[in-house]
Amino acid sequence: MNAAREALLLPVMFLTVTLAGGLSLGPPVSFSPPPLFALILAALLVAALFRSGVLVPAGLVDASRGPLANVNGAVVIVTLFAASAQAFHLLTPAAGLPLLLFDGFLLVLLLNTLVTYPDRIELLRSLMVIFGSAFVLKFVILAALSDPTGGRLKRLLLLAVEGATLGTLTQDPLPPAAGYIAFFTLLLFLIAVWALAPPPQRHTANWRLKIED
Amino acid sequence: MREPIVRAAGLAVVVAYAGLIVWVYARQPQTLAQVTGGLASSVGAYHVDAQSFADGIRFFRRGQFMEARAAFERADPAQRDARTQFYIAYACYREGWGHFYNDRRLLARGLEAVDRAIALAPNGRLVVEDDPDLQMRSADELKAELQRGMQRDPNPLHVFRSRK
Repeated sequence: MNAAREALLLPVMFLTVTLAGGLSLGPPVSFSPPPLFALILAALLVAALFRSGVLVPAGLVDASRGPLANVNGAVVIVTLFAASAQAFHLLTPAAGLPLLLFDGFLLVLLLNTLVTYPDRIELLRSLMVIFGSAFVLKFVILAALSDPTGGRLKRLLLLAVEGATLGTLTQDPLPPAAGYIAFFTLLLFLIAVWALAPPPQRHTANWRLKIED
Repeated sequence: MREPIVRAAGLAVVVAYAGLIVWVYARQPQTLAQVTGGLASSVGAYHVDAQSFADGIRFFRRGQFMEARAAFERADPAQRDARTQFYIAYACYREGWGHFYNDRRLLARGLEAVDRAIALAPNGRLVVEDDPDLQMRSADELKAELQRGMQRDPNPLHVFRSRK
């Protein structure tokens, strides 16, 4: 990894995710720190990134590197953890039954990812699926269910859903910009995680050697 | 560019950015003006708009409290000046106070403003000595009066109380 990417680009991207992940447009506008469960999910994600080879701690902090390079590497790891926690915080609903379901869903998916020992590409794909599906569930489906505006039929359906779930499913309505901010925040996080990974090995050269043998 | 320079510059930028994020999470600014004002005040570069503050004082003395609040808020958009926040709280108190009925919404706003003033004042002590128009000179008195105004008062004799 080159110095500019390690010292500046990756930490700034992760810190931006950390900042935007806790933003709640309200009103009033507020910035909320991640809940405890998001820290657990973040720890699992960092572990999965490590096992799959996306995160190589020895490439970031090692006795063979200089002190300044080691500090830069440590900053990358710390900011990755903070951004992961805020990304999960962003993806989970604020309260009620959906919060419980989402936390369980994310925990099971991450544990599954961890034990299947995916390689770098598989993990990045898996991460895209996890984040993408959680985003759609929270910001499209759940947001539509919790939107108080709409026609009479929609209001009746919402009332039925709320009655059937004893009011535990619907959430506070999200401001229109919330979904856009969340989308770009998660996209930035995925790009940063992708940029974190070491460049893929060139299997094609080995192939050619084997064929020639 | 040499690698150590890139690494040192990157670290400096990241530390500054992380500091900004910690500040934002701790202070919870609501507007861009509060962000810029808060950062300016942290380096001692924040000043209230003297003209708007003088306008606010003039409106306040004339009893035009809504106009006074608008002028004070313009003078201190970042809500970083204890004295201006004190006057905003006082304007809320005077406008919200009544013999028979207190406007609790306004008194609650006043309470928020006086809390900000106390938080901003050195050691939490704020006394405005140089304004003869004020009957309550300290933020503590004003806060207590605002809190009393927020409570439901069943005593009918209290209609004879006067506004401070």
